[in-house]
Amino acid sequence: MSATHIIQSLISGLLLGAIYALLAVGFSLAWGTMKVMNISHAAFAVLGAYIAYWLFVLGKIDPLFSLPLVVLVLFILGGVVYRLFIRPITKAREPLMASMVVTFGLAIVVENLMSYFWRPDPRILKPPYTGSSLFIGEIAVSQGPLIGFVLAAIAITLLYFFLRNTYTGKAVQATWQNPIGAALVGVNTERVSLITFGLSIASAGVAGVAMSFIYAFYPPVQMIWTLFVFLVTIVGGVGSLIGTAAAGLVIGFVIGISAAFLPFIWVNVLLFGLLLLILLFRPSGLFQA
Amino acid sequence: MVREKAENFKANDGPIQKWSYVVVLCIIFLLFAFPLLKPPAYFLSLLFTVFMYIALTESWNIMGGYAGYISLGHVTFFSIGAYTTAVFMNRLGVSPFATAIPGGFVAAMVAALVGIFLLKIRGAYFVISTFLLAVVTHLVFMNWNFVGSSSGLWFKLLPVSIEVNRIIFYEVMLLLAILITLVARWVEKSKFGVGLVAIREDEDVAQSVGIHAPKLKLLAFILSAFLAGIVGGIYGYYMSYIHPDTTFDINISLLILLMAFFGGCRTWIGPLLGATILSSANQVFVTFIGAEISRIFYGLLLMVVIIFMPDGMIEHIKNSRVVKKWVAE
Repeated sequence: MSATHIIQSLISGLLLGAIYALLAVGFSLAWGTMKVMNISHAAFAVLGAYIAYWLFVLGKIDPLFSLPLVVLVLFILGGVVYRLFIRPITKAREPLMASMVVTFGLAIVVENLMSYFWRPDPRILKPPYTGSSLFIGEIAVSQGPLIGFVLAAIAITLLYFFLRNTYTGKAVQATWQNPIGAALVGVNTERVSLITFGLSIASAGVAGVAMSFIYAFYPPVQMIWTLFVFLVTIVGGVGSLIGTAAAGLVIGFVIGISAAFLPFIWVNVLLFGLLLLILLFRPSGLFQA
Repeated sequence: MVREKAENFKANDGPIQKWSYVVVLCIIFLLFAFPLLKPPAYFLSLLFTVFMYIALTESWNIMGGYAGYISLGHVTFFSIGAYTTAVFMNRLGVSPFATAIPGGFVAAMVAALVGIFLLKIRGAYFVISTFLLAVVTHLVFMNWNFVGSSSGLWFKLLPVSIEVNRIIFYEVMLLLAILITLVARWVEKSKFGVGLVAIREDEDVAQSVGIHAPKLKLLAFILSAFLAGIVGGIYGYYMSYIHPDTTFDINISLLILLMAFFGGCRTWIGPLLGATILSSANQVFVTFIGAEISRIFYGLLLMVVIIFMPDGMIEHIKNSRVVKKWVAE
């Protein structure tokens, strides 16, 4: 076990962790702000990956150029899902549980629609630039994860500034702090919820594209991605954007270190075991006071 | 409140109630006698699956319906039952019909162990943690050589013809479904069940009026796992081959949840109704249209049920005017 090997493993872990953070950030936002737990989040990430994949294979459009289209399509889809399935249950006795079960159903529908139309074969996005590696001394960094990392960093930063600095973003924050108060000062809370949910799904789409630079994807993989979404969200603390980003990096660090010493499959067992421990002892996340 | 409930039961024991007992006994008798008609093996397998889901959903409902702790880990206990019987048979040569019950005990022991920790978690967090339980146990069994890891385990077949084989499993699973339904019904009408319902309605209030919530939850969880383990043992023997990808399939947990919600998870009748209708529909869909379409149908149904009839079909029927009128007459 050489030092280079460990450092290399660590770097790819961190790059991956940032992408997991992007995958989870929208989920965490919807849970924290709207009290909606969207299990179909990762299924929409896979859908985003498929859209980029088909545009690349059939239309020869580079995934980085088709990204705005993926964002737009998923934003609209998110709005439709909100109107059709989420809004009717926000008045339920336990909206969190109800939304969870409803979106479980939605995840099954989305996954199997994709399986039905596009077959469950594993696919991978292979634009010309993801195959090679950058070398820093003896350490190789593959470009696929690197581009994914950059995408994730940009998307999370944009989301952060959107929430902090724009009128709509501030309205989103106001609504989640006090929905009635926000409505009283003239915020259209209905519209805000719709935008939040659309953004949440759109960010999942970007994460799906970033993931597809690294891993093969197929419809049932959404279940595994969902687990990572849970992992990052709970470690980071529900609803916290900075917490989610930090959690992604921490998890990436753990993956990097353990992948250097353990067989791949036990890395996941370790991670999910850790998540169970966190759920038991610190369900509010590692970063909240 | 309990006494009021008890009086309600007595008051309900009118002529309709008596007739329904007779009808139910007749149906059970006909189901037991059904193999005498020498139906095609396909029908027996279909009904076997229906009975299995009735048994699983009723056992799930003790925890998920009465206590309101929605577990996606039911498939874990089911699989542990299947694996225990397989190991007993392969290593010690004991018949799975004899070891299905020890299989239930092993599942119950695992439930007790994880339950002590998991049951401290509430609501959505509990669902996530049981989901994790199902995934982690799946991964562990995939890589655990003692239980065959990713090559699965074979059972020795019964030394009888395939038709007799099907009939034996049909009768055993039917018996099991009836027994588990009776257990669920007993729980619902017992003091234990009333305590669980109180926990579902408001755990903190329940504790403040002297209900020992942690103990009741743990007991319900163990009972639920024990029953699922027994069903798993019989299922494994029936399939004659078990593999982590098929027995630990999280979709089984989801199907159970859907069946309970569809029927209505507050009474023992709901899961019975939901499991019967949906598992028959599932079998037909999978055979004639394809697994993907069937799952799409399932997902949509789950959404429609939660949005439009959150209390399940049984409450929906009870509240409909036609039935009210019919009962009044």
